[in-house]
Amino acid sequence: MSQRNHLGEFEEIVLLTVGILYDDAYGLAITDEIEQRTNRKVTLSSVHKTLMRLEQKGYLYSHMGGATEERGGRKKRLFTITNSGKDALREAKQLRNALWQAVPRVVWERGNI
Amino acid sequence: MGDKSSYHPHPPSWATNFLRWYCRSELVDEVEGDLYELFQRRVEAKGLRRARLLFWLNVLMFFHPDYIRRRKEFYSPNYLAMLRHTILLTFRSFQRYKSTFFINLVGLSSGLACTLLIYLWVTDELAMDKFHERDAQLYQVMQHRVQGGELVTSTWVPGLTAQTLVEEMPEVEYAAPGFGLDQYTLSLGDKDVKAVGQYVGVDFFKLFSFPLQQGDSSQVLADKSAIVISETLALNLFGTTENVVGKTIEWQHEEEYQITGIFADPPRNSSMQFDFVLSFKIFLDENGWATRWATSWPETYVLLKPGADVHALNEKIADLITRKTNDEVAHRTLFVTPYSKNYLYGNYENGQQAGGRIDYVRLFSVIAVFILLIACINFMNLSTARASRRLKEVGVKKAIGARRSALAFQYLGESTLMAMLSLAVAVLLVQLLLPQFNEITGKQLYLPTNASLAISFLAVTLFTGLMAGSYPALYLSGFNPAKVLKGALNTSVGELWTRKGLVVLQFTLSIILIVSVFVVYKQIEFVQNKNLGYDKDNILYFDRVDWEEGNLETFLAEARKIPGILSASSMGHDMTGHIAATYGVEWPGKDPDDRTEFEMMPVSYDMLELLGVEMKEGRTFSRAFSTDSAKIIFNEAAIEHIGFTDPIGKTVVWGNETLEILGVVKDFHFESLHEQVKPMMFWLSPQRTWSVAVKINAGEEPETIAQLQSLFQTFYPGFPFDYKFLDQEYQSMYAAEQRVSTLSKYFAGIAVIISCLGLFGLAAFTAERRLKEIGIRKVLGSGNWNIVYLLSGDFTKMVLMAILIALPISYFMAQRWLEGFAYQTTIPWWIFVLAGLLALLIAWFTVGLQTVKAARVNPTVCLKDE
Repeated sequence: MSQRNHLGEFEEIVLLTVGILYDDAYGLAITDEIEQRTNRKVTLSSVHKTLMRLEQKGYLYSHMGGATEERGGRKKRLFTITNSGKDALREAKQLRNALWQAVPRVVWERGNI
Repeated sequence: MGDKSSYHPHPPSWATNFLRWYCRSELVDEVEGDLYELFQRRVEAKGLRRARLLFWLNVLMFFHPDYIRRRKEFYSPNYLAMLRHTILLTFRSFQRYKSTFFINLVGLSSGLACTLLIYLWVTDELAMDKFHERDAQLYQVMQHRVQGGELVTSTWVPGLTAQTLVEEMPEVEYAAPGFGLDQYTLSLGDKDVKAVGQYVGVDFFKLFSFPLQQGDSSQVLADKSAIVISETLALNLFGTTENVVGKTIEWQHEEEYQITGIFADPPRNSSMQFDFVLSFKIFLDENGWATRWATSWPETYVLLKPGADVHALNEKIADLITRKTNDEVAHRTLFVTPYSKNYLYGNYENGQQAGGRIDYVRLFSVIAVFILLIACINFMNLSTARASRRLKEVGVKKAIGARRSALAFQYLGESTLMAMLSLAVAVLLVQLLLPQFNEITGKQLYLPTNASLAISFLAVTLFTGLMAGSYPALYLSGFNPAKVLKGALNTSVGELWTRKGLVVLQFTLSIILIVSVFVVYKQIEFVQNKNLGYDKDNILYFDRVDWEEGNLETFLAEARKIPGILSASSMGHDMTGHIAATYGVEWPGKDPDDRTEFEMMPVSYDMLELLGVEMKEGRTFSRAFSTDSAKIIFNEAAIEHIGFTDPIGKTVVWGNETLEILGVVKDFHFESLHEQVKPMMFWLSPQRTWSVAVKINAGEEPETIAQLQSLFQTFYPGFPFDYKFLDQEYQSMYAAEQRVSTLSKYFAGIAVIISCLGLFGLAAFTAERRLKEIGIRKVLGSGNWNIVYLLSGDFTKMVLMAILIALPISYFMAQRWLEGFAYQTTIPWWIFVLAGLLALLIAWFTVGLQTVKAARVNPTVCLKDE
């Protein structure tokens, strides 16, 4: 994958969360999921902006879901990971694995400084 | 609260609306939905108040460039191309419908020109006297006095007011009196110049911003021999302003004064115009009585300290005269009012502020709006009436996706473009008309080239464009494309009514203006021709310049010898307003609280005869009786006030003299007809007269005046012979009314012409659209006149409706205007009939031009196609 499509850390988390939620991945649900799993405070608007950016990059595909009463009759936008999204995630994971493997064992086994 | 499971509290609607307003349309659904869900969850967890607050916070956090609508969403993505298209279409429709274009252009440009002229005039009036640097602190002292159970307000106050206010009132920083604003003769060597001057207090130049070019504001008037002159006067006398200070000039060929300073000429927007000032101390020295608190002479101006409490000051000075006279004069109260406000709000009625020039400012502002409105209505009516021609255009545009807002924008653009074109024509018109307008208004207005004026003009134009375009824009853009393309335009009843209503409104306004012109004209005519009780024609008068006892009699005797002079005498009055009055006349049985003032008129022999005043009883002063100088003549109003039933021979006491009543003259108007005739008294005292009057044989004016002038010059060498005609001075009392009369005539004319232009356009259009109908009617045997009747009927109804609405309104308005005159003309009923008929005739004539043409059409020509 080319340099410009590098995934940021938060982007990666959001993209993975979309994968976790599978068929019910929309703004608020994703925010909730991230908060629960990472135990960090994230705002709806920052998640939303990231989702839009990822869709622009082609990693996400979205369609409008049904309106429900608890949403005041408003539709939700449901996200799914596209193939290039999956590629990007794999790429990121491989990159990380490669980096992990490149760290000499002695780093882990020597005691704390 | 009801069942909890089904109840959902709502997020703050303002926040939701804000979100919906700014957020891009493809995103608003999901964002609002998410926020709503979050809100519901928070209500349960944190309570409604916090949830609402957090909702707002979330909405604000989404207010981010990524979420805000792009501009292109408001307009078509091809913004520039659309604009070009709009302008092109506008010009094409101008070209294609030339008559409509010209009607709109003429209407809007003359409407705008009127508005701009009035705007210039109004801004000038509003800026009057506002140029003084410390305008906010500058006040004028005024006086109410009780007279005949009413409060009469004047600007004259006791001579020591200024001095006392500075000494006794901590709020007052400076105060200065001003008195005797009049023309005087100033001379340098052999050179005589007439100049306007006044006596003013030492601190005059500290109060007012008449900047001194030479001299120091606290020094120039310190000395009694000082005179401060204007730049123009210095140039007139010396030809230069250099080395002028220190020179002496002669005043009235009596006194010499030394120039101590030169001030810049008072600007045009100063209501006080003068060429020189002398020290007020001279006036007080020469007129010791002016220091008495029972008399009122100078005007007095005060400069209050910043932040002074005007209300408290007014309370403190209210009884100043009472205190100073030890309760002897208790019917006069002083108060201060902002100096620059006095110009526009100078009238008082029974102690209450009651308008003034501001009435005319308002009147003309209303007229400007009326005329502009009439011109806008033309545009609205013609555009909507011609809408059928643009049906296809609107239909096609809508069908291929034009939004309503885009169409509305197109029509607004069209009307704004029209208004801008009109503005260009209007500015040209204003340039052309300004000299005449200045002559009528007595102003020196000009079109300044500054940004603020340009912005105001553009704002007015833009407003006109938007107002004119608003209705067509809403109307034309609202068509249903499917119906329109099928060819069916349902002209709704509402729309017809709107168009008719607008025509009715136009004519209502026009008729109101026509009636106003008639009424103002009638009142002016009444004023000019009213029998005033004296004969103002062919009387010439001039100020006396020589105060030596006996000289006046010699001069008058010589003057009587001139063949063209019928009579010569002198008086202490000018017959065009209140000069001086006294409440010191006593008679048996007078109410001690009666402070009614009697106008004082000292006269020489023959004066009453010269004025042609009629005697009701008794006789006038005569040389045959040497005791006449101890006698007095009253007018009817005075006798009525005193209450004598058989007055001749009874006596009154004035000062320390007992005066026998010699005669009673019939009331005559010595003030303007705005005022009731007040009590007046005449006594024989040539020495106290100051105005020499001669009656000239009609037709011999030039030679008589020449002879009188040479006589004057031999008696008083060095004094310019400066005379006035009584009838001209009389007319100048009504300058404001004359102005209103002339201006309203023009404005009413313009309003009527613009209304008729609109009617003409509508009639032409109706005739054109009903051409087929007319053809069929004619084939079936209808006569020409039937058709004219058919086509004019609608318009006649509209104009009749306008007449019905306009007449009561204009009657009411006329009554209110006339209430300002104590002596009013009656408004005859035929004025209203005439105004109505005039409107109807003009309308018929306008419509007739079109309908007759339409009625004479050859049916075979108009029916052959289709």
